[in-house]
Amino acid sequence: MLTYIARRLLFLPVVLIGVTLLIFLAMSFLTPAQLVSAYIKSPEELKNQSIQELVAKYGLDQPVWKRYFSWMRNVLKGDLGYSVSANMYVSEAIARRFPATLELALFAVIPVVMGGIWLGTVSAKHHNRPLDHASRIFAIVGWSLPDFVFGLIILLVFYGLLRWFPPGRLSVWADNVILSGNFVQYTGMNTIDALFNGRFDIFLDALRHLVAPTITLAYLWWAYILRITRSSMLDIFGKDYVRTARAKGLMEKLVVKRHVRRNALIPVATVVGSMILGLLGGVVIVETVFDYKGIGLLIAKGAERMDYTLILGTSLFYGVLLVVTNLIVDILYAVIDPRVRLE
Amino acid sequence: MIIKKLIRNRISLIGLVILLGFILVAILAPVLAPIPDELLALDPNRDPYRIPRYGFSSTPKPPSPEHPMGLTEGQLDIYHGIVWGTRTAFKVGLIVVSVSCAIGIVVGSVSAYIGGKFDELVMRFVDIFMSFPFLIAAIVITSVLGKGLGNVMIAMILFRWTGYARLIRGNVLQVKQDEYVMAARAAGLSHIKILLRHILPNTIFPVIIQASMNMGSIVVTAASLSFLGLGAQEGYADWGQMISYARNWILGSPGNPLAYWYTVVYPGMAIVLFVLAWNLIGDAFRDIMDPKLQG
Repeated sequence: MLTYIARRLLFLPVVLIGVTLLIFLAMSFLTPAQLVSAYIKSPEELKNQSIQELVAKYGLDQPVWKRYFSWMRNVLKGDLGYSVSANMYVSEAIARRFPATLELALFAVIPVVMGGIWLGTVSAKHHNRPLDHASRIFAIVGWSLPDFVFGLIILLVFYGLLRWFPPGRLSVWADNVILSGNFVQYTGMNTIDALFNGRFDIFLDALRHLVAPTITLAYLWWAYILRITRSSMLDIFGKDYVRTARAKGLMEKLVVKRHVRRNALIPVATVVGSMILGLLGGVVIVETVFDYKGIGLLIAKGAERMDYTLILGTSLFYGVLLVVTNLIVDILYAVIDPRVRLE
Repeated sequence: MIIKKLIRNRISLIGLVILLGFILVAILAPVLAPIPDELLALDPNRDPYRIPRYGFSSTPKPPSPEHPMGLTEGQLDIYHGIVWGTRTAFKVGLIVVSVSCAIGIVVGSVSAYIGGKFDELVMRFVDIFMSFPFLIAAIVITSVLGKGLGNVMIAMILFRWTGYARLIRGNVLQVKQDEYVMAARAAGLSHIKILLRHILPNTIFPVIIQASMNMGSIVVTAASLSFLGLGAQEGYADWGQMISYARNWILGSPGNPLAYWYTVVYPGMAIVLFVLAWNLIGDAFRDIMDPKLQG
């Protein structure tokens, strides 16, 4: 087990360097003049110096490998450049917006995993019967609804028609309380902060704003998890040890719970990595539709204004985040399924 | 045989019928939505993908006999956009899928055939590409290359080939040690011939099916980028862009939340049906290819 983790950890820097190289490669499509904004320390610099001077100052006319090292030095210091569209440093923008996105993703993951596994189990137990067909249609429709279409429909119904779940992160009054100074922001995640501050009204308001984007984000992945749980359970139902369990007279409920589902969840655990990848990508669209101020909306706004400093910085952040998450998922997977370690 | 099974399966038959409908719309686009005569008179070389504009007000207008699906933001004809958007969807999907699949097949099969350290290196390279969410990666590349449908396609190809490379690599590794490959090698065939004549014909089929089933998701990603304002240019027939036009009107006017329903419902339906058709066929395919699920 330890050797497996050690092997994976040893490999981590290689992948991380690869990720930075890829982003750097993307940057090399830009001209030195365009790149200046990725290097400057404050907007004042642009006023006092010409672009040519800045290009020379930051060594943008230097050979590629030298540029890579000086860029990496900045990145390691946490300096990702100045974003024109967000009007602040990229690192600052990420630090401010990330808790919101994390909150949304966490709220989506739990219903997705629980709901998906449950639906998949139901579907497999009723293989080729009406319930199975119904969940299958649910899954295919979910898989086919682009998130921006589905999100707009949710917005239309639950806000336009019913007025239940407004867009944004908080109502104006709650926002004022948070900014008032009497409210301590421990994590940046409104629901958790509200509970720590003992403000139940703000907690409910934050929750109310989370429902619609969560549903949008979750629906597509429900379908995915359902599908994988179903086929993996059907696979296990045919195994000898399941027949043995049934033959010894075990109740069907216990057969499913103890023997089938536990083993069927192993392939489900593998897709969690790609699900996190998908959730964090999907967040761009969902946050745009619901005007939810997280990293996704930051990227979308930056992309619209061609703010590549911001886009490159946030995608580097994303890349590193995902590499690390995937590593954790893989290690957890090896804990669940000993066969992986022996490979 | 597979076609027969697809037709027998009721779900996939629906998918095939919808898809056939879209193909017909795409082929018949010049007949279904010709460029209006008055615009053709002004500019005989007008690009049919440019949606005709009927006025200057930004507020959408509901369906009428002249404009069966109404006019969206900027008085663009929704019907014209949907019909020509079908061509855009097929164009984007076919180009991205075929080019990225070709790159993936070449890289993946060569990597697996050579094997050893080289294969290890290529696969780590693939891992790095795959560590970015597809949509984010596409945004990054489009933003450094510049906006536009062509750049969107390049961005998607750059980050899509890796999946196919991984898939074909697994297949090639499996058959690489088979007797018939050994026999071909013993007979003194060149590596290229062995790869082209003996290995690829036995490994390529599932990859091509998988790739064609990705048409739906490719079109959705392209539409997402247009929705974010990175894709097609203003007024170009593209479903994603038409939905982004609808965004400002989705909540209707005061007292009438459904006032502008047609701006989102028609383009939304077009894209959902398109993806649904591919997924229905793909779903049936998966069952046909996976004998474990039969019975």
